[in-house]
Amino acid sequence: MKIRNTLSAAVIGLASIGSQAMAADSAEPIVIPTHNWSSQVVMAYVIGGIFESLGDTVEYVPADSQAVYEAIRIGDVTISHEVWQSTFGASFYNAMAKGGIIDAGTHSAATLEEMGVPQYVIDDNLCPGLPNWEALKNCPEVFATADSEGKGRWLEGPQSWHGDLMPTRLAALGLSDQYVVKFAGGADAIWAELASAKKEGRGIITFNWTPNFTDAEGFAFIEFPPYTDGCRVADGGDGACGSPKGWLKKAANYKFPKTHPAAYSAFSKIDFSSTDIGQMAALVDIDGMSHQDAATKWLADHEDVWKPFVE
Amino acid sequence: MDTSFFTKHRKLSQFGILLIAFFALVILVKPNEANVLWRFPSLLASLPGIINDFAENLMFNWFPIQVYDPHIEEYEEVALLRELTRGFSRGVLFMIEFIREILIGGVKTIVAFTSWEFVRENPWAAWPAVPWTVVAGGAAILGYALNGRNLALLAGAATVYISVFGQWHPAMETLSFVLVAAPISVLLGLLFGILSYKSHAVEAILAPLLNIAQTMPHFSYLVPVTVFFGLGDHAGAIATIIFATPPMIRLTLLGLKKVPVEVVEAGLMNGSNDRQILFKVLVPTARRDILIGVNQVIMQCLAMAVIASFIGAKGLGFNLLLALNQLRIGQALELGICIVLIAVVLDKLSLAFANKQTDYFADLSFVERHKYMLLFAGFFVGCIALALLGRLIFQDGINYLYLVPHNKGITTELFWQSGVDWMVDNWYAGLQGFNRGLIVNVLQPMKNAYLAMPVSATFLLVMGIGYIIGGIRSALIVGGLLLFIALTEWWDRALITMYMASFSVIISVTIGLIVGSVCAQYTFASKAALLVCDTLQTFPSFIYLIPVIMLFGVTDTSVLIAVIIYATIPAVRYTIEGIRNVPASLKEAGMMSGATAFQRWVKIDIPLAFPHIMLGVNQTVIFALFMVIIGAMIGTDDLGQYILKALSDKQGIGNGLMLGLCVAFIGLAVDHLINTWASQRKNALGLS
Amino acid sequence: MPTPSETTPNEPVIKCQSVYKIFGENADKMLRAANGNVDAAKFQEAGCVVGVNDASFEVYKGEMLVVMGLSGSGKSTLLRCISRLTETTAGNIHIDGQDLLAMNNKQLIELRRNKMGMVFQSFALLPHKTVLENIAFPLQIKGISTRDAMKRAMEMVELVSLDGRQNYFPRQLSGGQQQRVGIARSLAVEPDIWFLDEPFSALDPLIRKEMQDEFLRLQGVLNKTILFVTHDFAEALRLADRIAIMKDGVIEQIDTPANIVLNPATEYVSKFTEEVPREKVLKIKSVMDPITDETDFSDLTISGDAIIETVAEAVLAQTKPVRVMDKDNNIIGSVHCDKMIHILFGKDDDAQAGA
Repeated sequence: MKIRNTLSAAVIGLASIGSQAMAADSAEPIVIPTHNWSSQVVMAYVIGGIFESLGDTVEYVPADSQAVYEAIRIGDVTISHEVWQSTFGASFYNAMAKGGIIDAGTHSAATLEEMGVPQYVIDDNLCPGLPNWEALKNCPEVFATADSEGKGRWLEGPQSWHGDLMPTRLAALGLSDQYVVKFAGGADAIWAELASAKKEGRGIITFNWTPNFTDAEGFAFIEFPPYTDGCRVADGGDGACGSPKGWLKKAANYKFPKTHPAAYSAFSKIDFSSTDIGQMAALVDIDGMSHQDAATKWLADHEDVWKPFVE
Repeated sequence: MDTSFFTKHRKLSQFGILLIAFFALVILVKPNEANVLWRFPSLLASLPGIINDFAENLMFNWFPIQVYDPHIEEYEEVALLRELTRGFSRGVLFMIEFIREILIGGVKTIVAFTSWEFVRENPWAAWPAVPWTVVAGGAAILGYALNGRNLALLAGAATVYISVFGQWHPAMETLSFVLVAAPISVLLGLLFGILSYKSHAVEAILAPLLNIAQTMPHFSYLVPVTVFFGLGDHAGAIATIIFATPPMIRLTLLGLKKVPVEVVEAGLMNGSNDRQILFKVLVPTARRDILIGVNQVIMQCLAMAVIASFIGAKGLGFNLLLALNQLRIGQALELGICIVLIAVVLDKLSLAFANKQTDYFADLSFVERHKYMLLFAGFFVGCIALALLGRLIFQDGINYLYLVPHNKGITTELFWQSGVDWMVDNWYAGLQGFNRGLIVNVLQPMKNAYLAMPVSATFLLVMGIGYIIGGIRSALIVGGLLLFIALTEWWDRALITMYMASFSVIISVTIGLIVGSVCAQYTFASKAALLVCDTLQTFPSFIYLIPVIMLFGVTDTSVLIAVIIYATIPAVRYTIEGIRNVPASLKEAGMMSGATAFQRWVKIDIPLAFPHIMLGVNQTVIFALFMVIIGAMIGTDDLGQYILKALSDKQGIGNGLMLGLCVAFIGLAVDHLINTWASQRKNALGLS
Repeated sequence: MPTPSETTPNEPVIKCQSVYKIFGENADKMLRAANGNVDAAKFQEAGCVVGVNDASFEVYKGEMLVVMGLSGSGKSTLLRCISRLTETTAGNIHIDGQDLLAMNNKQLIELRRNKMGMVFQSFALLPHKTVLENIAFPLQIKGISTRDAMKRAMEMVELVSLDGRQNYFPRQLSGGQQQRVGIARSLAVEPDIWFLDEPFSALDPLIRKEMQDEFLRLQGVLNKTILFVTHDFAEALRLADRIAIMKDGVIEQIDTPANIVLNPATEYVSKFTEEVPREKVLKIKSVMDPITDETDFSDLTISGDAIIETVAEAVLAQTKPVRVMDKDNNIIGSVHCDKMIHILFGKDDDAQAGA
């Protein structure tokens, strides 16, 4: 232990000697987190590629998508480039309240995080009237599962994503007698259920978002009564409303603008549209490329999109 | 008649009375949150917040020191402890990266001795990766040097598999992290094992800590580890060390305690000093148990490969999560096999290293003495040449003789994928009836029954069982452990965890007893079954979660199937070991007295193997609890889901640790009851 | 106290004076209060166990003292006091004139490394080391180079006739072979003092006999000062120069085998001696007549160390007295066939008369 500390002290010492001159960006690597879904990983490599084009050093570190905000706050990770409002909003704001993390702007991608059904549910007319939510009243049995006691089941993400939002919505819409909410453990579980349902042509209602790889196969979001400010129970409303068009934010450690001014300037300008994100994900999920290769290809093919960020 | 029944079956009658009282309470106490007999008030509800504040204070406010940050040219206040833990982290990270860069190249080691500027300004300053053929050949030569041809073949084949299947890069990342975490765990385990052997005080302090560390789900300390040590390979390694060291400590202590007094006396009479007694007599003599400890450390390290990637460990684990998220089960399976292969090869190499014999009288020439080093050197040069040649052959494409890039190797993915598709196509419909029946007729009633238990009835039952088994002391221990849980806000969650764990333990133990007993009759079957157990123990359970969800949906059935697959491992293993260790003379005696195979099993095998089997049951409980928590990844509403949620909570540290303790305490309570009972039976059978 | 005739140097190698070993928390206090008069039963009540009770004796160079007693008699405890594997509660122990109990750890280690060797009942071999490595162990502990240690160990392997098995592990050897390793290990550093704690008790009877013969052969060559612990009276008679018989921590009698057989000091001792067929245990020298002026001897000579039984027939065939010789071929006594008839068939008191 002693040796190790001495050693690391030496390492710290050595590392800090060289970094006196601060002409432009520090040579210290920018740490970009990778999570376990394709678009995020490809975008990590895309943004990494953009930073590298500025002469910066980049390092990727796998991280849990919830725990990462604490890491950014402390400075172990420099940025996060996909902060989804409804899934990570809570973690992001919790970390921000403690200090150390800054909001680095919003992508223009219009995101929606909402309950929905695979396109074939609509096409095969399994529940006539969908995607309007009122149609749900007439066909709970289409969405029943082994453990739902005859009711239709809403497959929601883990409780860490939006707490009791969906159960309260069910109650507010008067669907409680016909539907129950089941919290899945993670995205994997949702994808597995979707894949299995698709094989059988079974009906399924699940939480999903766009842009996502499911866009390619077709996924229809249910049209709930439109979101208005304060309509949610948590905000004092009755809860009988759908999700708002969500934002997709970027976050950074508070030191990032000072240590890497050029990179930060580019990062704050970075703005991907739903199309961009969809393309990145498709290179991996549809074309079967590796994440790095997909990023390289995307950067090569879409200089028009990202060159403006670095100018 | 009545009295004689009571005196003869005193414990049985006590148990009967206990059950009657239990049901009376269940019927009499009405659900009402205000009723203390129904649910205890959550007096400990503020404890997570306190723990959280304490940890954050320690980490961010306590003893601030001024540290100059050259990047922003400012002095910053940093808490002393954080500087220290980060220093430690950097040390661990340095070691991981040093090994990693030997294998796959990089600049971090050079940076450690110069600076990032230096590396940026001098593009030549990067360590090149060695060709994969060098590592494969090196592994084979090492295997040959340690244990001859078979190990050479195994080590060589495993490395070739990893490379050819295009998992070289992540596999070497995982390997470098294991090569740091495992030795540190072994050394720490030895150190604390020896300290507990030498001092009863240390043993007494460590014992409960070890119990908790081994029963606490690792998800629950992921957040504290990231806060204290940061995010990255080092954090993964540290979480792994926390997880892998306790069994090493335990087995070291166990081994040392088993060293016969006379062997120590012989060492003393040979004039050994304290150090020599320890390292030349005690530790080597305890080596059998210590080597089991090393084996466990390696298994645990690779079992953590996936979880460690939650907090920054690069390598196979992270790629596996990524593949699963794309539902690429075939790829995940190949990654899982790589993890198992690394575990098996490391285990065999370490075992062979420990068993290596020296020939003292062989009068060897320089070449003979260093033949393996020379062979490796020759091989090294050859492989470099081959890699250069490869550069000519694959001029523009990928130089397969140097490095097969990630996911560019051959793959059997399509085969597995279509296997899973076939399974879903053909089995789904058939399994729905079973799934529905199980959920409606068994699982939901069972879950509801657990939730309908008044807290007073639960305590009566559990403490009563404790009293019947181990007297007032056991009753108090078990009661105390449960009281902690009952006073948190999560008692209902804990009941659900208990329901899932108890259901799967019942099934797992039944399967384990039957499969284990059958396999134990044949040497070959026993070996095969133990091999399967080893494989399943390191094979990442995440992989089979996905097909299970496809077949059974996000339901308790899926969770329980995953739990049963995992928890049956110790049940089978300990049953086989227990029965095979029943002395042959007793089995023969049974045969001579004309017992049928079944009678022999019931009257001889099972009773005599009983204490060992009970240890297996104990492990089954621990494994089941562990997997119920991982089952949160499928979707549960028990403690596990809350632990997962703690990853993003404001009070993540406190909640995570408290929830972890709740799970640990359930495990410890069962552990205490089973151990007390087993040791009594052991005494009664004269086996101790 | 008689001493064997062939070795009577001035300074004893091992000297014990009023050695006490009492187990238990208040041992020291209780012992001081008892003022040298230890009553085992009283101590037991107070939670103390008396291991060794007032043991005093001396062992001389080249002598073999066998401590004999049943289990719980304190014989192994006594041995452990003298090897200081256990701390003595009270008394004095001197090894070669040095105060053993006053030695510090370093001195003790030096003493053990150079002067002491010990053999254990359960062999106590290191399971992870081969035969050769086990035997070389004490040498390596001393810091002798691997090369020399292995050379010396190989000589020891040959001494105990295990050549060819030097690379076996203990688990691959029979009990007798394992104990040969134990013996070789204890002799590797050429100690002056040799402790043996029931070395042959764990072996079956045939092997035990063979090992005893082997042991006598070795002692014939090495001539060590030996403290040998056993619970087997026959073994004690067979090997010992002198025997100390222990019961409940007390040495009941300490004397030559012949004197113990012929004159048991206590009732307890006589329980062992009663059944002993003396012609099978006694040596000629313990029953021979002193040399008189007579010169008319038979041509036959017998060794004083011969067991009576082995030479009885030859002596009975002679009409004249037979001369008894020592190792160096000096006449030390004579035996007449009449005497032999008395020994073999006569009553106790007749035999005694001849002693």
